[in-house]
Amino acid sequence: MSHIIDPEFDSHISKLMAWHFGAETGSPFWLGKLDGLGFDPVAEVQGLADLTRFPDVSAELRSVPAQDLIPRGLADRPFRVYDSGGTTGSPKRIVDSAYRSQVTEWARERLIANGVPADGNWLHLGPSGPHVIGFDTGRYAALGGGIFYTVDLDPRWVKKLLSDGRGEEADSYIQHLLDQAETVLESQDVAVLNTTPPLLEAICARPRLYELVRTKVRAIIWAGTSISRESLKQLDEVFFPAAHVVGVYGNSLMGVAPQRPARPGDAYPSVFEPFPETTRLHLVDEAGEPVAYGERGRVLLHLVSEEMFLPNVLERDTAIRIEPRDGSTVDGLADVQTYRTLDDVAIIEGVY
Amino acid sequence: MSTAAPATVVLDPSVCGRRVASSDRSRLPSVLGGDLADIGTAPRLLAVAALNEIRAHADGRPPAFEVFTGAAELFATATLDGESPQEYARRVCHATGLTATAVDQAVADLTAELRALPATTAAELPATGFGDGFDTRWVPRGRVFAAVMASNHPVPNISWAQALFHGYSVLVKPGSRDPFTPARLLAALTAAGLEPSRAAFLPCSREVGEYLLREADRGIIYGGESAVSTWHQRESVAVRGPGRTKALLDTAADDDVIEHLALSASFDGGTRCTNLSAVLTTGAVEEVADRLAERLAKLPSLPATDGAATLLVVNRARAEALREQVAALRASLTDHSARAGEYETVVELVDGSFLLRPVVLSADRAGHPAVGTELPFPFVVVAPWTEADGVEPLRDSLVLNLLTDREELVEAAVREPSVRKVTRGRVLPWTATPGIPHDDNYTQFLLEPKGLVAQR
Repeated sequence: MSHIIDPEFDSHISKLMAWHFGAETGSPFWLGKLDGLGFDPVAEVQGLADLTRFPDVSAELRSVPAQDLIPRGLADRPFRVYDSGGTTGSPKRIVDSAYRSQVTEWARERLIANGVPADGNWLHLGPSGPHVIGFDTGRYAALGGGIFYTVDLDPRWVKKLLSDGRGEEADSYIQHLLDQAETVLESQDVAVLNTTPPLLEAICARPRLYELVRTKVRAIIWAGTSISRESLKQLDEVFFPAAHVVGVYGNSLMGVAPQRPARPGDAYPSVFEPFPETTRLHLVDEAGEPVAYGERGRVLLHLVSEEMFLPNVLERDTAIRIEPRDGSTVDGLADVQTYRTLDDVAIIEGVY
Repeated sequence: MSTAAPATVVLDPSVCGRRVASSDRSRLPSVLGGDLADIGTAPRLLAVAALNEIRAHADGRPPAFEVFTGAAELFATATLDGESPQEYARRVCHATGLTATAVDQAVADLTAELRALPATTAAELPATGFGDGFDTRWVPRGRVFAAVMASNHPVPNISWAQALFHGYSVLVKPGSRDPFTPARLLAALTAAGLEPSRAAFLPCSREVGEYLLREADRGIIYGGESAVSTWHQRESVAVRGPGRTKALLDTAADDDVIEHLALSASFDGGTRCTNLSAVLTTGAVEEVADRLAERLAKLPSLPATDGAATLLVVNRARAEALREQVAALRASLTDHSARAGEYETVVELVDGSFLLRPVVLSADRAGHPAVGTELPFPFVVVAPWTEADGVEPLRDSLVLNLLTDREELVEAAVREPSVRKVTRGRVLPWTATPGIPHDDNYTQFLLEPKGLVAQR
């Protein structure tokens, strides 16, 4: 990573190495790894370029007791556990106390810059429970003083049905979700709908529900699965021309990366940027080297926050590397797609 | 016809007469190598929008018959959307690998079927006037029809034109290798006066095609077993899967019979679902197979655009996949083509395409799993048949060609539900006239009878 210059983030990393690897402040998980690292992170890790020296520990998040992930320095705070969706087998776990709240405050400003109303009620037609997206979306609504409506969605059940070839059952489950969304929209005011591309497709195929969304909702946020360029155009120009259609890339580990406001001449309709204070998403080639701007690479995550330290995590996605906007230090990601072979587990992209 | 690389063709979805320049693109490879066309594909949302718009305009009223006769004329002779008949033929040749002769014949057959639509309808419906004000009207069973096409041959596109003829509005998912025929047929119909709001042309993924089939009132799907298998139980969908056409050879295998079997297997390069796939015989299996292999080995290896060509060509990738698939079969059965000097399944031609040579194998029993294997080129398995086998090994045949005098067996075959058509003697499997069903009564699949009783 030597040619990615990011001095501000380097000093942030340096500061947090002392925290995560300090005996009084670090988590049992990372402190337990200290001896096996083969280097002294506090002395030797000076910045971004050094993060690739750490092993990718994300697979261990499937089995390590979540308690061990909590930094000792934050032991007096309440924590929650969230899961990854389980797209690639058993879920990875993260712990969160206040960090996601901080991220959602930043992300909300980005959404507002994309035209999402600052106030009004939200309908979250997506996962909740162990999935952090439910919490994030609830925060957006609360920060704007809006009411937060939800419909339960179990993405793992949908994926199981699809991987078992039970497509008709998956479809009837989706219709069951849409019935509930329709019930909410029939009598309640909803300004923002947060859901996924497959569910938006299903909404558009149900005339009554589609009319309710088209006439009531002022912004639609899509996340959770990839979307084709023409599908996005259809949403934006044909189905919901009066609403702001905004994409958010994200997952439980890295957090959220809302799209940056589109500018004339953009080569891609949605360019995503992560939370610059804690997160870098590098797009790398097979050798782990950053690809050039305009090229496709696999997403490599570095997350360095007070609550979690996740360096050098190779994600299941690929994307096109886009130059930072003026004044920004983070690259953008465009045209995110699922990386197709990972640990020989067939990846089923469900409704989430 | 030049083999020089032409400018890439660009095709896009069209909905109610409107071209929709899709941002989702896919490349259509040429059998000569490289890309022949740049195809805009319809994601599900575009299909949803198209379906909504088509349904909103569907009133079930049939267009004037002149639309179909006019379209037949234009399809064969006119430049449509900048595409001359010659350019159309060249595109289909280079995309599907069908010979120029086969494409010319397909144009003649497709346009003849368009002109024969009233005759076909009359032949497939019973008389309706009962006198004294009693009448039966045959009306569409729904408003919207979806067609999921394959690319093996242009003529099956008659199926959705027939739906239009009876008053349906249609959505067509073209085959991935032949989007040209449905695009041109739709252009011809529109130029001949079809209301543009009656049809949509949607190149799309299999999943989107399945969505259209689920949502439409009636539909048809063409394709291999894996593509069609989930649709057999759905009453609203007509399934056109592998034909597994068979012959029972129970008479002397003279040269005329061998010639007949060879033509049944190899006509149009063996791409039709009605091309012969298996021969069951009471005669000497090895001898029949050897002679059939020798006869087929005489077919020349020529580029598809050569007037004397008869065999199918494919691009490199498809050739390699088929070579591998056939190698396993050739190794497990007696290989009569090899005995006739034909060792290679695939031959590379000077124009860069790959020609598929006919393959004749034999099995030691009628119930061998290879009997009924259908491949998209002349591929025949010969196996023994005895009276004790009965009708069982003849089952699951789109067409069953009976070369026998056993009247009991003929009767049993005609009554066998999984045999869809029976031919006797040296009759080619696809031989038909209006009123002879290809597979069930398609007119009655599209239409239902409604009583109409008037006061007198």
